[in-house]
Amino acid sequence: MEDILKALPADGASIMANVAPHLSRHLLFPLIQFEGDQAEEKGDAELAKKILSGKIKLLEDTNMTDYVATLYCDLHGVAEPPAEYTKKRQDVLTQLDKYEKETEQIANLLTQDEVVNGLRSDKVANLEFLKNQHGVTLEMVNALYDFGQFQFRCGQYGPAADMLYQFRVLSTDNDKVAAATWGKLASEILSTNWESAVDELKNVREGIDTRLFNNPRAQLDHRTMLIHWSLFPLFNFEGAREPILDMFFSASYINTIQTSCPWILRYLIAAVITGRTRARNSSVQQKQLKDIVRYVRQEAYEYADPITQFVNALYIAHDFDAAREALRLSEEVCRSDFFLAASTDAFVNAARHLICESYCKIFSRMNIRDLSAKLGLNPDDGEKWIVNLIRETRLDAKIDSQDGTVIMNHPPNNVYQQVIEKTKGGFFRTQVLNAAVSK
Amino acid sequence: MSRFFRSGGDDSSSESSSDEEELYSGEEDQELDQEQSEEESDEFEQSEDESEEADDKEAGDQKQGAFRFLRDNVQSDSEGSDDEVRDKVKSAQVKRLDELETSIKQIENGQKNGDWTLISNEFDKLNRQVTKLPAGSKIPKPYIKVIAEIEESVNEALAKQKVTPKKMNATQARALNAVKQKVKKTNKDYQDQIAAYREDKDTYLWSSDEEEEEVPVAKAPKAVKFEDVAGAEELADEGFATVGKGGRTLQYTPESIFKHLRGIMETRGKKNTDRLDQIKVMEKLNEIANTPYQQIRVLLTLVSARFDLGSGTTNIMPLEHWKAAEKELSQLLTILANTPEYIVLENVEEWDDDEKPPSLQPGEKYIKVAGSIVSYIERLDDELHRSLQSIDPHTSEYIERLQDEGALYNVIFRGLLYYETLKKDETIEVPQDSVNRIIMRRLEHVYFKPAQVVKTFEENCWKAVGDNVDSTTTPRAEAQEPSELVNILCAYLYTHSEGILRARALLSQVYFLALHDDYYKARDMMLMSHLQETVTGFDIQSQILYNRTLVQVGLCAFRKGLIYDAQNTLQEICGSGRQKELLAQGVMMQRYSQVSPEQERLEKQRQLPFHMHINLELLECVYLTCSMLLEIPLLAQTGSSPDVKKRVISKTYRRMLEYHERQIFTGPPENTRDHVMQASKALAAGEWKKSISFIHSIKIWDLMPNTEEIKEMLSKQIQEEGLRTYLFTYAPFYDTLAVETLSNMFELDSTKVAAIISKMISHEELAASLDQVTNNVIFRKGVELSRLQSLALALSDKASALIETNERTLEQRTQGTSNAFERQGGRGRGGHRGGARGGRGGPRGGGNTQRQAGGTQFTGGALGAAVRG
Repeated sequence: MEDILKALPADGASIMANVAPHLSRHLLFPLIQFEGDQAEEKGDAELAKKILSGKIKLLEDTNMTDYVATLYCDLHGVAEPPAEYTKKRQDVLTQLDKYEKETEQIANLLTQDEVVNGLRSDKVANLEFLKNQHGVTLEMVNALYDFGQFQFRCGQYGPAADMLYQFRVLSTDNDKVAAATWGKLASEILSTNWESAVDELKNVREGIDTRLFNNPRAQLDHRTMLIHWSLFPLFNFEGAREPILDMFFSASYINTIQTSCPWILRYLIAAVITGRTRARNSSVQQKQLKDIVRYVRQEAYEYADPITQFVNALYIAHDFDAAREALRLSEEVCRSDFFLAASTDAFVNAARHLICESYCKIFSRMNIRDLSAKLGLNPDDGEKWIVNLIRETRLDAKIDSQDGTVIMNHPPNNVYQQVIEKTKGGFFRTQVLNAAVSK
Repeated sequence: MSRFFRSGGDDSSSESSSDEEELYSGEEDQELDQEQSEEESDEFEQSEDESEEADDKEAGDQKQGAFRFLRDNVQSDSEGSDDEVRDKVKSAQVKRLDELETSIKQIENGQKNGDWTLISNEFDKLNRQVTKLPAGSKIPKPYIKVIAEIEESVNEALAKQKVTPKKMNATQARALNAVKQKVKKTNKDYQDQIAAYREDKDTYLWSSDEEEEEVPVAKAPKAVKFEDVAGAEELADEGFATVGKGGRTLQYTPESIFKHLRGIMETRGKKNTDRLDQIKVMEKLNEIANTPYQQIRVLLTLVSARFDLGSGTTNIMPLEHWKAAEKELSQLLTILANTPEYIVLENVEEWDDDEKPPSLQPGEKYIKVAGSIVSYIERLDDELHRSLQSIDPHTSEYIERLQDEGALYNVIFRGLLYYETLKKDETIEVPQDSVNRIIMRRLEHVYFKPAQVVKTFEENCWKAVGDNVDSTTTPRAEAQEPSELVNILCAYLYTHSEGILRARALLSQVYFLALHDDYYKARDMMLMSHLQETVTGFDIQSQILYNRTLVQVGLCAFRKGLIYDAQNTLQEICGSGRQKELLAQGVMMQRYSQVSPEQERLEKQRQLPFHMHINLELLECVYLTCSMLLEIPLLAQTGSSPDVKKRVISKTYRRMLEYHERQIFTGPPENTRDHVMQASKALAAGEWKKSISFIHSIKIWDLMPNTEEIKEMLSKQIQEEGLRTYLFTYAPFYDTLAVETLSNMFELDSTKVAAIISKMISHEELAASLDQVTNNVIFRKGVELSRLQSLALALSDKASALIETNERTLEQRTQGTSNAFERQGGRGRGGHRGGARGGRGGPRGGGNTQRQAGGTQFTGGALGAAVRG
């Protein structure tokens, strides 16, 4: 695996090397694939080749023999893969048969309605029920687990997920159930079944909290893994956003990020910033942004990339030139990042909004030319952009086109208004209190 | 007893009593001397009284008895000494003899009754008494007789036990065995006399001492001198033989080593033993010891005897003894390294046989000697520590003493090597605890020192052990760099120890990291350890270490220019005003509460030796400077608003500032505190240049490494904070201010100025905005509140706080009982929260967010709350 990582451009922008150890082989594959595509796009044939050979190495240990064989043919330009691949393929197939036979009975059982209806929420009772009524043994249940694992290794994620689900329903072996949950999560991610992936995430998270509560080290490791895995749904599925961000911002997970994988901050920032346009609940958004700024500041000594630098420049140093420069770099980084590539435009747009927002907060009169430059746009586009912004956000601002300036109007916060705000609920609350006391 | 002598004189009572003995144990022929035995057993109860009476009655007789020759001794020296002395000596001897007789009597009774427990106890007493007898005097003959008899009866009893199936009861049997052992041991010493006794049982007691008397007479003068005049040993040393206490010639031969050692061990801890004398004896023994076993045994005893000199809470071990102990310990370690078949371990049984040293049993690899190397090393370390505590640190003596630390470190290192070699062998059970302790000691000598010093130490001790030795825990190749060394030592302790030792290791490592400017790592370790939550449960030494570490982390943050973190970290220690006490660097004068002498003594014991101190003046200087940089802008910002009291970062600093301002005349600054105070004043007035010059003229900065860099950093900070203070103070008097002007005033880059202003605006500390076109700061009007307005705001704050408290109180009272309130109350609180958020938007609330941003607070509790406002 090290070979591929070495082959990748080591320009500091890529954090592949950091991410890779925390992903499973199969989860890593799409990332490598992405890098390969990038290399091909750039026309860097040699690099692409290297990545391809890396890919083969990566998958050699799996059971996806057909695919590896094709890859091999591609790489070496031969029509027929070497004999070892066919042999391996044969092995895999026999194995597959074996497992199928082993699990045949139980699989059939679980498709029958009356059996499924007989199941209760008590696992031990279920097992007892199946044992008595249908002669299911513990070995058969465990065979489900093995078969699920095997299918996962074959790259048949859908069936693997089903198998593992069935196993989980029946098994009472906690360790194996936990492993099955992880496996199911991976399968769901790889079969892009995001909704159930998010559910599985929750399961895994609970498992970590309850099962490993007295082993902080293992907890940390598992959480690190979970954080990395959850990046897949985070950037691919709208509905995953909120729960996953909530998870990331919870104390134990933000600690994990800060201790063992500060590079995740990049994704966290991207997710928060891109999320701002969906201004459904902006107070949460504001709070998250504030938190992010704090973490970036705390981790500045340990980790920095263009995206954290952007946050740093905008919110900590208040250096708008640096922020613009950082934004330009971040755009590049995003485009070459597997997770962020899709949301690059949204990110850049949202980042511009942020620049503009804090700019407007601080300045009362701004030169459109300068502002556009700061946003990385040409003056005409800039003007249009600003007008749109003013219209969208109903900023109290006007454009003076004679001077080419934007004039902001900062209404002072009225002190009487403040007093009224503060004492607003007083009467009502006292009444409630009164009622409660007199009861 | 004296009665016995008398009777012994009259008839052959010695014979008869041994016969009786046979009779009682044998229970066979009872005809012999039946009457007499009965008579004696009747008297059994009264024997004690009687023997006391006998004292007075038969003092005359005693002269004829064993006492006679004792008397002779005394008389023989009476030429030199006056009568008083004689009287005293006499009475003491009489007393002793009486005791002896009582015991012998008891033993005889025991023999008659077959009461072995009694015999065992009395025999012990007897032996003790005999050893106490002034040496040089003859061994009392009755004693010889008794021990001979006991031996016989023991043998008989044992023989009988084998024959008869009837068993003795358990305690008796045990006592019998004990007596057997003891008899065997003691009788060896008196073989000749016993033989003489056996040859002639009847007359033995009465045989004159003439032939034996020659010896005491020959030696008597010397012995007397020894007793009377202190320092007689020198005289004796000039002669051929060394004379022990009481005039017995001590022939130091390799064979007798163990006997001497045993004697010394037995007197250990007793009153009136002359430790120095014993040490002298052992030094001699050490010279003549020629087998490793002998050497090891002698050294073990010798070193511990030396430590006894320093026992007690006030005594300090004399310097020459410390040095000697150090030498002997390293000698011991060398011997152990050279003869790997001998090992010293804590959990081994003592070898009791003095005659022959233990030899290698087939199938065993080692000869184990009881002893604890690690305890000796710890003790040596403690003694050095104590002696350093008591020496005035400003003398050359202190420095000389400090040089011994190198030697000590070598010993520790070699001790560690020794334990490592032991650990290599699986068959030996080395307590993990010992290894941990010794590693901890090593760490404690390393952690507070700069890398350069540690390196020298390490090089020296590697040189001392030679080239072909390597350590498993700290391999030569890896542990060369001090940081690596500390890391390895700590890592070892993390994995192999637990509890306080582990925490101490962690603190030591953090201290070391902080000392070497590795701030972030030190801080992270400190925070991740969560020690601040548990440290209050530790022992005081560890708490002191925690405080020291905390301070060191704070100083490190300061060197890095992280003013906020530095202040925050130091707050807890320095804000208390009890730095000295908390860091164990001096006893605080307690003005109001009385300290008991006991407490004071404990306090003194805890003090760190001077070379480990953290400079308190420097600490204060750093703390005050940090506080100044944070407080002055804050003071300017809050101005005269009513909630000024709420936000105080450092109470100590505020107090000093107030005191300083109250002074009518302020002279030029003299001490560090004056410097910082005047700098603060200048800073508050916007005179940042003056402030810098005050701060720079503090002498103590020279103690910091990279003084220039630190001064530069401080200048920069003062410039920025000066700008902020200026803006806060003078904002109400300006409509607009050109950035350019500010940048000239504070000699800062105009973009930097703009950045600072932007920051203040965005944190809502300053009601202003920037004009990009003209490059001005425009101050908003109407934000400066009138007194009435700000009071109204404060009042509304308080009103809502009151409601909040009421709700919370009620909630606690009615916990879980009033559901209705919960529902309604929830709504009520929701409404409140909205209000609070609106409030924060106001110009006054802004400061909070800035403070929260630090996020790395070490402090908790009230202090932390005060900072957080």
